[in-house]
Amino acid sequence: MESLLIIYKLIVWGYAAFDYLSSKQQTGAGFVLVSLIYFCLQLFALIVRHKKWKRGAAFGSVVLLVFAAVLVEPLWALLLPLNGYELTSLYIHRVWGIGGVLLTPMIWLRPSEAKLYGFVALFSLASVTAAKRHIERLEQQEDRLDQLRHDLYRLARRMSEYHQYMKQSEYTLQLEERNRLSQRIHDQIGHSLAGALIQMEAAKRLMDRDCDKAKQLLENAIHISKEGMEQIRMTLKQIKPPLEQIGLNRVKLFIEEFSAQHHLPVPLVCKGDLDVITPIQWKVIYENIAEALTNASKYAEATAIAVEIHVLNRVIKVEVKDNGKGAAKIKKGLGIIGMEERAASVHGTVIVDGTNGFSVTTLLPIHK
Amino acid sequence: MNMLEIKQVTKKFGDFIAVDHMSLTVAEGEIFGFLGANGAGKSTTIHMIAGLLRPNAGEIKILGKDIAKHRQFAKRHIGIVPQEIAIYEHLTAYENVEFFAGLYGLRGAELRQRVEEALEFVGLSDKRKSYPKHFSGGMKRRLNIACALAHRPKLIIMDEPTVGIDPQSRNDILASVKKLNEMGCTIIYTSHYMEEVEEICTRIAIIDHGKIIAEGTKEQLEAMITDTKDIWLEIRGMDRLNKEKLQSIHGVKAVQCDDNMVKISSDISVNNLNEIVQCLIHDGVEIRSLEDKSPNLETVFLALTGRNLRD
Repeated sequence: MESLLIIYKLIVWGYAAFDYLSSKQQTGAGFVLVSLIYFCLQLFALIVRHKKWKRGAAFGSVVLLVFAAVLVEPLWALLLPLNGYELTSLYIHRVWGIGGVLLTPMIWLRPSEAKLYGFVALFSLASVTAAKRHIERLEQQEDRLDQLRHDLYRLARRMSEYHQYMKQSEYTLQLEERNRLSQRIHDQIGHSLAGALIQMEAAKRLMDRDCDKAKQLLENAIHISKEGMEQIRMTLKQIKPPLEQIGLNRVKLFIEEFSAQHHLPVPLVCKGDLDVITPIQWKVIYENIAEALTNASKYAEATAIAVEIHVLNRVIKVEVKDNGKGAAKIKKGLGIIGMEERAASVHGTVIVDGTNGFSVTTLLPIHK
Repeated sequence: MNMLEIKQVTKKFGDFIAVDHMSLTVAEGEIFGFLGANGAGKSTTIHMIAGLLRPNAGEIKILGKDIAKHRQFAKRHIGIVPQEIAIYEHLTAYENVEFFAGLYGLRGAELRQRVEEALEFVGLSDKRKSYPKHFSGGMKRRLNIACALAHRPKLIIMDEPTVGIDPQSRNDILASVKKLNEMGCTIIYTSHYMEEVEEICTRIAIIDHGKIIAEGTKEQLEAMITDTKDIWLEIRGMDRLNKEKLQSIHGVKAVQCDDNMVKISSDISVNNLNEIVQCLIHDGVEIRSLEDKSPNLETVFLALTGRNLRD
């Protein structure tokens, strides 16, 4: 912006100098003096940082130009619009206002000079204003770019946190499971194995001396081992709960609580083979249902919300649909974006439809 | 090489998100179908591919080249048949095609030859001197297709080309789509008529609310929702029906009888209708009606979205 103004000034000054030198025969001492003072003032304005000094320099330039135009050479008035612009734009923000101020000196000029002056004033005003607009827009765009970059960074971080969390919870689950398993093995299976072992050791020693006794001990050992086997079977059965019970029960519990809390009927329908849903998918399903129900209770003004978990052949469809006012235009908030991200983490998608009530459908693929 | 690649493309109109992080690839030689309800984002996607709209985010590549950077290249290789008929009523059929082909820089003898070919292809050669205002809807459509073809694009995009035309013209258009494909063109075809998409497309993307919710061949899409098809039979002579024999037919999973109705569920990938019918006739069962309740794209769409394609 500053450099543009300087180039304009240089062009206009060059024109004035050329015109002056070619038309007049008298010595150019006055002209050179004014030029030098003018250059000094301009350089001063460029060098100083403080706004007060800059303003002073701009004011000084205008005063100098007015004096020079009156006393030395009317051509100096041509530089007035450019320096005038610098000064007036500090106080007046409307383009028309600045234009008005810049054009006022025309009253005191001769018609032939006024024409040239008007041209220079309007032309420089238009081009400087355009440049200013352009710069402003550029700055806005840059701000926006920064904002977007910031968002991108934030989302990437959130994604990595989510990954971390997923890994962490998987690991914790494994640890818990391992802990429980080793406890069981120690408490039950370990004891019976040790018992059987002792009996068999004793039988081995007695074998030669007291065959009957040894037989009895072996009988005992066999009995204990059988019991142990049964215990292993029981344990295995207990530690392997049907998958859908954990996930579905959690969902059911949440829906029941929600229904009681908001005094809303929330029927849950399950179709298909729920066994194929993996624990991580259950987590997504649970969280998305919870989010969708919370949203519905906040915004929908619904009298009923239906939840459906439908396992199709290759895809799981989870739909939360209310009979509320819906939304013709859907604006994605953090809630919907969160649901989409969760679904995307297991390669699924979310469809949000507001045309007939409001429905949120989560589609998750089944990998067979 | 892939004819078309779309990566994470998003288009917003104010707050409204018309296309939401869409990604897909179309290989050369495919007839790729966009299936979705009105307002799902099909036309917006097509307009972005054709370069008429700029995406807010994402990348579109034609033959490996980004269309934002290679606009001329992309335009030369795409022919678009828009949803609204775009021809000049006061120019003859020949002049219309000549005009549009001329926009692609064709001149002289080559231009004349290409225009003739295009008109010949859509069957309007004998109408070359007629004005489109006397044409039927179907003929206007065909002329519109000719306009998009004359510069021999590699990718032809057809946006609902069969809306509002008579069945005969519709069949002609579908046949010409197949023929174009055989000649080596890749075609993107949008419609909300699932029968058409089922009939001609080699691969289909189901679009809803600006997202691709499912993609694949017709069979793959149908397999998403079920692996069984049901055949309903109304019969006379239920006492002669041999359930075990029916169940032993390859692919049959279950046979249910009720009054005079029999429901036979079988594996969707096995075609055993002939054997079933033969088995019934052999046992002296009289078939009064037969209904094949295999899934189709409409049921796929309904199952996935809970809505009908045409609401």
